[in-house]
Amino acid sequence: MMLRASAKHTNEAIDLHDVSAGLTDGTKVAHAPLLVAFAEAVVARDSDRIRTARKAIRNAMGDAALVDAAATAAAFHGFTRIADAIGIPYKTAAGGQDAPDVREAAGVNAFYRVQEEMAGR
Amino acid sequence: MANASIAMSGLSIAESEVPVRQDLQDTHRDAWSRIASPGTWLTSERRLAVAAEIRQARDHCAFCREVKAALSPNAARGTHATLGALSAPEIELIHRTVTDPGRLSEKWSQSVLDAGLTDGEYVEIVGLIAMVMMLDTCTMGLGIPDQPLPLPIAGEPARYRPPGARKNAAWLPIVEPADAIDEDGPMYPSPKAGYIYRGLSMVPQSLRDYWAMANCHYLPGQYVYQFDRSIRAISRPQTEIIAARVSALHQCAY
Repeated sequence: MMLRASAKHTNEAIDLHDVSAGLTDGTKVAHAPLLVAFAEAVVARDSDRIRTARKAIRNAMGDAALVDAAATAAAFHGFTRIADAIGIPYKTAAGGQDAPDVREAAGVNAFYRVQEEMAGR
Repeated sequence: MANASIAMSGLSIAESEVPVRQDLQDTHRDAWSRIASPGTWLTSERRLAVAAEIRQARDHCAFCREVKAALSPNAARGTHATLGALSAPEIELIHRTVTDPGRLSEKWSQSVLDAGLTDGEYVEIVGLIAMVMMLDTCTMGLGIPDQPLPLPIAGEPARYRPPGARKNAAWLPIVEPADAIDEDGPMYPSPKAGYIYRGLSMVPQSLRDYWAMANCHYLPGQYVYQFDRSIRAISRPQTEIIAARVSALHQCAY
């Protein structure tokens, strides 16, 4: 998983469970609460929450950080749809480095597509 | 048809209340121009009808909300609220991929093809969905409303099918890097390009259009595995925590 690999280089703690369950104190990436709140608001397309999160990021991290946070969130509105509509094999994610225990810790094994595959459908 | 209208699209990101890096502005302008151009299998008019239907599904389809809320995506019964310009399999592909992408299946994908959509049309439409969702989500995040769709650009679809496209690892045919030929045009930055990179390879122009955007919003391929550096104004772990949370909320196992 790219998150875990990148956090190793900055010595920031990651709780993989937070990826699916939402942010906890187990993840110590700088400004993570602001960025995750922004990402969640963008996925929900909740304009009030987006406005609040945008203001918080600008105040704490600056305008350029907001632009790159928005661009990153946007990019994964595209990647996900290609992967899921084309049926890219999920076990090849992150160059095939996502071990089963990582998927389990991140909550990915509970996702519909994995469940369907495990059920043989 | 009016090429001049394209000059008016893609500019809205430049009107953001925060300064937007120039390459991102350029990417948005170029992407809207590509969306309004003839594709490989779809005319420019049909591509823009797809773009309009993407927004319709995302913002106005009550049936999509029912499907999304249902325990099983197959449990809801009803019809999509559409703009009426596209065929039934196009509507199904667009609405489900836009609003509930994490619960698609190979069986569902095959049903869309069996209903009359070719695999080339399917892949081209998926590429358009990915592009429009990326463009509109980026501007929404920056507080900018959806910009009006551009007018279509004249021309004919290329109708090029890469001879190396084969159904193997994914639900739709892909061109493995080793099977790409010069006539396909540039596709892969490396023979080791990941499967997400290969996803649109059955329609090489869609692959190029999409990745020109994606590289600018996320990271160019050469930086993806350089975890010790960031070329953005946020750190790499900050980038990845956004990426992971957005993917998880979409139930994307990839």
